[in-house]
Amino acid sequence: MIDWLSFLLVLVAALVSACVVVSAYALGIRLLTVSGRTPIVTPAEFTDAITIVSPAEIRQAEKRAAKAARKSPLSEGQKRAALVGAWACFAVSALAVLVGVYLIIGEHLFKIFS
Amino acid sequence: MDLTLIVVLVIALALFFDFTNGFHDTANAMATPIATGALRPKVAVALAAVLNLVGAFLSTEVAKTISGGIIKEGDGGVLITPELIFAGLIGAIVWNMVTWLLGLPSSSSHALFGGLIGAALMGALLSGAGENPVDFAVVVSKVVLPAILAPLTAGLVAYLATKLAYAITRRYDGKPDGRDGFRHAQIFSSSLVALAHGTNDAQKTMGVITLTLVAAGLQSSSSDVQWWVIVTCAVAIALGTYMGGWRIIRTLGTGLTDVKPAQGFAAETATAATILASSHVGFALSTTQVASGSVIGSGLGRRGSKVRWRTAGRIGVGWLLTLPAAGAVGALAALIAGLGPIGVIIDAILGAGVIITIFLLSQRNEVSASNVVSEVADSGRAVKIKRNPKPKKGKVSK
Repeated sequence: MIDWLSFLLVLVAALVSACVVVSAYALGIRLLTVSGRTPIVTPAEFTDAITIVSPAEIRQAEKRAAKAARKSPLSEGQKRAALVGAWACFAVSALAVLVGVYLIIGEHLFKIFS
Repeated sequence: MDLTLIVVLVIALALFFDFTNGFHDTANAMATPIATGALRPKVAVALAAVLNLVGAFLSTEVAKTISGGIIKEGDGGVLITPELIFAGLIGAIVWNMVTWLLGLPSSSSHALFGGLIGAALMGALLSGAGENPVDFAVVVSKVVLPAILAPLTAGLVAYLATKLAYAITRRYDGKPDGRDGFRHAQIFSSSLVALAHGTNDAQKTMGVITLTLVAAGLQSSSSDVQWWVIVTCAVAIALGTYMGGWRIIRTLGTGLTDVKPAQGFAAETATAATILASSHVGFALSTTQVASGSVIGSGLGRRGSKVRWRTAGRIGVGWLLTLPAAGAVGALAALIAGLGPIGVIIDAILGAGVIITIFLLSQRNEVSASNVVSEVADSGRAVKIKRNPKPKKGKVSK
């Protein structure tokens, strides 16, 4: 019938890998914010009622981020450490994407080039 | 019947199925980045199309059997003739078009299985062979159970991933949380899903065409896929993807729940992780069902977001109907095709008629790149919403 063991394997593998990637990226964003460089990424297209952002609102958000960065109680060294940590986290996520690409096309590439 | 004519018809139909497969499944990868504005709609579908094209060229392994064991092929079963494949493809295409018109994400492979099952059953009935050509135990283990497990698995993974993403970035002091930054990540997670889709789905059609060529004696069963089959299949799925099934993108991007960047990233990562895990363990799950489950799971995982269960229910009903509905159309097409050459031509004309009718119906309320998610935006600009209420511990906030 159905191979429950392999299903369990799929569930655990997916759960662990997705959680690791998402946590790494989220931690990266958190550390980036802590280091005083809050990412403000405006939508490419102003889509719906919830995410709609006007240029004035973007400026407002940037101002708030700058203010929060100025008021940060952290020392320069701590901020730098947070920044390094942030990029380390992003590197982990990037690595995960590469592993994903490898899982998708790695075998095929081997076949084509061998 | 002239063998070459039916072969040409099957190949044309298979490529059209590939095309519908493409636009039906654009949403799986690109609905959430379009909904959050991480990518412009046109850019998103172009990216997905390119990745599908690349994926299709890289996938060289083609299924050995057309139905993956659902239909007893060859000895002791039913002979898979080009006519039967033709009828099955009509069933799959008609169901894909109907679900697209209704904006429902549904699995293209299940539609193909359904069409083939219907055609095989009718074929066995017509030929008077009393044997049942369909292995229903395999149907349950390969189609029915995965259809339940896929959205549950992806939903659970996406739920936890969303919870984590929000918990890690949540700030109780009201300072900016930088969650906008997830928009960049969304581009990558969605691209991964699109690439995986290209490697998986284009080869389905390559398998259909190759098996038809083998059945017609135009190719030996041991030889590889012809290069022109790879090229045409890759181009067909990429073109379909670029057309963008905007109706389905709307359902998945805004219909089930309002997707925000962190949530969209978590959902797509869950989709990619689940699909990669399933294809490597050899426990096949449908991309569409995984992606839908992820979106619902991420909607449950974000505080203050609502999942519109009515839409989810409609999608679920669509999945339940996929196999029988595509099967019924496939059986009908097989019945007509049983009349001989004239029947096949009637089938082709009827099929084209249905497709054109559905297309004309869709024109009455067209959904395109320009209005896929922006209809509510204008009303949003008119209403002043208090943005970013300060999160409070223990309380539900948006």
